[in-house]
Amino acid sequence: MLFLVVSQIINGVVTGMIYALVGVGLTLILGVLNIPNFAHGVLFAFGAYILLSVLQVVGNFWLALLIAPFGVVLLGLLLELVGVRRLYTAHHDYQLLFLFAVALILQETIILIWGPIGTSVLPPAGLQGAVNLGLTVYPKYRLAVMGITAAIVAGTWLFLTRTNVGAIVRAGIENREMVAVLGIDIQKVFALTFGLGAWLAGVAGGLASPIMGLTPSMGFDILPIAFVIVVVAGLGSVPGAILAGILTGVAQSLTTIVFPEAANVVIYLLMGLMILVRPQGLFGKR
Amino acid sequence: MTPIDRRTFLAGSTALGAAAMVGGVPAVARAAKTTTILGIFPLTGPYADTGPLMSKAAEMALKEVDYEVAGQKLRYVTRDSETKAGSATRRAEEAIASDDVKYIVGPWSSGVALAVGEVARKRKVVHWFSGGTEDISGKRCHRYAFQWAASPWTAMDVVLATFRKQNQKAKRLYLFIVDYAFGWSLQKYVETLAPGHGFEVVGVDRHPLGQREYSSYITKAAATNPDAIYMVNFGLDTVSAVRQLFNFGMTPKIPVILSWSAGVEELVQMSPEMRQNMLVGTNFYYTIDTPVAKKFVAEYRKQDSKGLPPGYAPGASYGCMRMVLAGMRAAKSTDVPAVIKATEGLKIDDLVGEQTVVARNHQTVRPYFVLKTTPKSEMKDDYDFGTIINSSAKEQPGELNECKDIGSL
Repeated sequence: MLFLVVSQIINGVVTGMIYALVGVGLTLILGVLNIPNFAHGVLFAFGAYILLSVLQVVGNFWLALLIAPFGVVLLGLLLELVGVRRLYTAHHDYQLLFLFAVALILQETIILIWGPIGTSVLPPAGLQGAVNLGLTVYPKYRLAVMGITAAIVAGTWLFLTRTNVGAIVRAGIENREMVAVLGIDIQKVFALTFGLGAWLAGVAGGLASPIMGLTPSMGFDILPIAFVIVVVAGLGSVPGAILAGILTGVAQSLTTIVFPEAANVVIYLLMGLMILVRPQGLFGKR
Repeated sequence: MTPIDRRTFLAGSTALGAAAMVGGVPAVARAAKTTTILGIFPLTGPYADTGPLMSKAAEMALKEVDYEVAGQKLRYVTRDSETKAGSATRRAEEAIASDDVKYIVGPWSSGVALAVGEVARKRKVVHWFSGGTEDISGKRCHRYAFQWAASPWTAMDVVLATFRKQNQKAKRLYLFIVDYAFGWSLQKYVETLAPGHGFEVVGVDRHPLGQREYSSYITKAAATNPDAIYMVNFGLDTVSAVRQLFNFGMTPKIPVILSWSAGVEELVQMSPEMRQNMLVGTNFYYTIDTPVAKKFVAEYRKQDSKGLPPGYAPGASYGCMRMVLAGMRAAKSTDVPAVIKATEGLKIDDLVGEQTVVARNHQTVRPYFVLKTTPKSEMKDDYDFGTIINSSAKEQPGELNECKDIGSL
């Protein structure tokens, strides 16, 4: 039994780190732009599908993983420029409706380009198969994902806390009117944040593709999880999103040992519990 | 503008989530004095990728006869089953009431089909279904329901026999079973038949429909040191499990048996490396050597932008629709009681070869196929997934069938 628990905890952390990448991007957009990005899941899906196409051209997974998220950034920036920017002052209902419509259109676009049936991407050659960790055997690629996501999360955190641009983004989360009053071009901050959020979703989609596979609905599958993470984390909280992502992944993973049917429900129980016990979330202020 | 608060955020999320779940496909225009056939398939939900393919294939069978049989015009309407019993039965009832549906083909899940079958019995409409539950032609049989797929007994028997022939030394099987009517039916027969073929079931894990994470099951299976992983699941569940077995390094060292596979629609989602050392049982594969299958496959591929051949899902809906038409032709009418009587005992050479509808339980006795997957280096094209190496049309022994009384019209 111990080997199973250990394996599932590692597994939960890996899945949770991917959730965290998606959640951090979503919470940044929500915190700075004050927009619930319902198209965030489909950006995750585009990360995976663009990686697939780039991989078919370049033949190298790591190069494809480097390139693909920037395709998602371009898509995100286009979305921000053409649609989201016009809705900053609109009621949230309009933002929700617009972004949900965009998500549906983009999902159909995936079907048009890549087809309705899913596909698989193999882990890179050196990371296929499993490694014996003593207590359990575990896939090499998933361990690599744990390291890569940790590095990306740390890099994002350093960017936000140790750079001037990061400070502006954080200030935008606290009080964006004040940022504008200080003479900073808030539109650029918004675009940068949306682009960063899209990049994180794209990287997560690319990294997840050898684990989860690719299906047109994968964006809508991960979207509710990303929103649960934001609620558990506290609206706009980056460290909260990281912790909430890992908590969600581990909770899901451990549940599959004892009650597999509840694995997809347990994350909503976690959210419900958080709303009851600490309505502002782990690190939220509102 | 005020910042979004938690209450607004949650309310908006819930409302949009609920809106997204509302589905439905409008009925096509009505026509007077025609017989209406309902194709109820999953256009949203777990099997949403197969629903449109099934509907397309079902309609192909109708197009072949120009929507006319026995001098009667036919009309085709569709509904979304969502792979939810509640939604499917509600929509079937609605279609019967509003479109005067007399025949139903679908859906694509045993549990949902059993519920739709009850609607068919109550409303006295013919229901053709293809799936793994034995109950349609077993303990929940009735005069209005027909099963196109092979009996689970037939399927599991030929799969185990073929695996025995291919792997003389194998003994220990570990089972991954999807936890609903389809999985339960097949698990029963695997466990019953395995000892007779010289196998021991060393472990069973049941997983929910829609499961995407198999690491806990794989870890448990690995600990029992099995000679093969024997899967009774379907669609994305199967693809996810195969992908993770490969990532965990269990395959291709250990063979994987997909005992009741969707065929093409599953296999195309796996890379050739993942498909190595695999045995695949299926009700339909596109290389079946019958004139009907050859014509269907050619036409289907012509209509697909990538030339993808049909898998079991479109094969089943096409096959079911052809059986509806065959019954009408045999009855020389579209009248429901006449068609049922003419279908009982009907024997035809059709899509998968010789097909006989057993009158006492409405089970179609027909071949079930077993493929050996093609190694990457030997694939002739992207869709050369495997070769049929065995098939069997052995009828389930009468004493094992639980349909004791098919009932009256």
